Amino acid sequence: MQSNKIKRSKSINLSSMRKSFSVKPLALGVAAIFLSACGDKQEAEVFTSVNDCTDANPEFAEKCKTAYEDAVREAERTGPKYDSQRDCESEFGNNQCRVVQRESGSFFMPFMAGYMLSNLMSPRGYYSQPMFTSYSRNSSYRNRWIGADGYDFGDNRRRTMKVSEKSLKPKPTVTKTMSRGGFGSSVRAKSSWGNSSKKGGWGG
Amino acid sequence: MLRVAIPERANWKRKAEEFGFKFHTMHGEAYWDESAYYQFSLEQIEKDLEAPTEDIHQMCLAVVDKVVNSEKLLEKFQIPKHFWQQISDSWKNQDPSLYSRLDFAYHGKGPAKLYENNADTPTSLYESGFWQWLWLEEQVNAGKIAKQADQFNSLQEKLVHRLAVIAKHYDIKQMHFACCQDTDEDRGTVQYLQDCAKEAGLDNDFVFIEDIGLAECGSFSDLQDNKIQTLFKLYPWEFMQREEFGQSIKSAQVNWLEPIWKSILSNKALMPMLWKLFPNHPNLLPAYFEDELAKATETKLVKKPIFSREGANISVIENGKTVLHADGPYGEEGFIYQAYYPLPQFGNNHTLIGSWLVNDQAAGISLREDSSPITQDMSRYLPHIIL
Repeated sequence: MQSNKIKRSKSINLSSMRKSFSVKPLALGVAAIFLSACGDKQEAEVFTSVNDCTDANPEFAEKCKTAYEDAVREAERTGPKYDSQRDCESEFGNNQCRVVQRESGSFFMPFMAGYMLSNLMSPRGYYSQPMFTSYSRNSSYRNRWIGADGYDFGDNRRRTMKVSEKSLKPKPTVTKTMSRGGFGSSVRAKSSWGNSSKKGGWGG
Repeated sequence: MLRVAIPERANWKRKAEEFGFKFHTMHGEAYWDESAYYQFSLEQIEKDLEAPTEDIHQMCLAVVDKVVNSEKLLEKFQIPKHFWQQISDSWKNQDPSLYSRLDFAYHGKGPAKLYENNADTPTSLYESGFWQWLWLEEQVNAGKIAKQADQFNSLQEKLVHRLAVIAKHYDIKQMHFACCQDTDEDRGTVQYLQDCAKEAGLDNDFVFIEDIGLAECGSFSDLQDNKIQTLFKLYPWEFMQREEFGQSIKSAQVNWLEPIWKSILSNKALMPMLWKLFPNHPNLLPAYFEDELAKATETKLVKKPIFSREGANISVIENGKTVLHADGPYGEEGFIYQAYYPLPQFGNNHTLIGSWLVNDQAAGISLREDSSPITQDMSRYLPHIIL
């Protein structure tokens, strides 16, 4: 009855299983609008500079510039921050980090490597967000486009991609929640039992 | 079946951080242990574990079919009367199930013996489906394990596929996922299923069990007041049925994962019922309800609460005397008795095999080691290979 079939999952998409930077930054970005997994995919393009964007879209030179400025501000606000140059360079590569001074102290951030733009031509307005990449051999983000929160957008030789936009359609919302907390009382009762239950989980 | 020592991957804790595996060490003690692995032959896997797992699942379904149609048995299974009709409806509608884990004592030869069926809220899913898979991949790439080594572990592939099938069955594009607050392990397990749902093309939202709301129209809601249409809950049915919102389960009309008919399988009363329906089956241990204990001819028995998790409240009884006992908060609904059958020992370790099912297909195994013969929540998880 022995089969020649392989008994394990043939492949697993590691980049979609990744949850964060390998060296945890002090602060993380807020998931940008693109990051939800599903829903309607739309075209997005990564540009490495304003000129890069203007060359591709000469009629939108002004938008290329404002989108870049938005992304720079966003990078500063939401990009990964480390308290040592070593941690930052371990993730992003030698000489890929800069020191940023704040009232609260100084920390290290990777340089913005590009910015992602979509809906550039849409009258409803465009979306932009900063992109980072890694040159470190230690990092699983090496040569990948990554968002401020560590989301992996794929190989950084690729410039256009389909990204998903959280479907902006509102979800069905119930009119009014009358009460909460009607589930979970057993776990509270059982958890309060003794110290030898070393964890609070109720899986088996 | 061998236990083989191997050096740990130098960077595995950093990898764990990167992939969000937060519970590899719990309360200062190692949970994930890659200082050794278990090695099986393909024949051991296919003949002794994979085939019996699928057979036993079918036997379990036969028990469900019998129990839903008998008020006497539903009572024996300690299922509140209020839910009998819902369970029967859910069974007759064939509400789809996602996964289960059968726990076996297996010595590398002879039949694996079924300890119990974790059919409602099994954990150690992420460690099994993803983390041990990654371990093998990396140890093979590093030349530490032979290239032709395989692993009995198609869990992730099958979960992704099954979630897509379930979504199609209910015609949905989104699922809610829930577990209790303050547990990295349960949250990690649920996050893994969210990742699998994402891979299956589904939107997913999370809500803590304690935060679930009851809305005006009778439905359940998440913290954003969104209606919960489909819910994977890593929370036992027997708890939900006895809590305040239990009375609203029917009106809420949720597509439940696991479906409510699994109340019958995640219940230790299953064990004596299996023995009644399939006496002397090579993979079963003799088991008895409390009121038929006189029938037991075994001198050594294990006493298990009808409802319990993680080895809590289990005692070993020899000639009527308790020789080993694990404390816990369970037991008020009564107990069942099962013939004592020891776990295999490798050095000082007692080793338990969890055998996974995704719906009705065997999907892989996980190994847990404990220094005590009763495997509890702090037992260590070890990877395995087939060679």
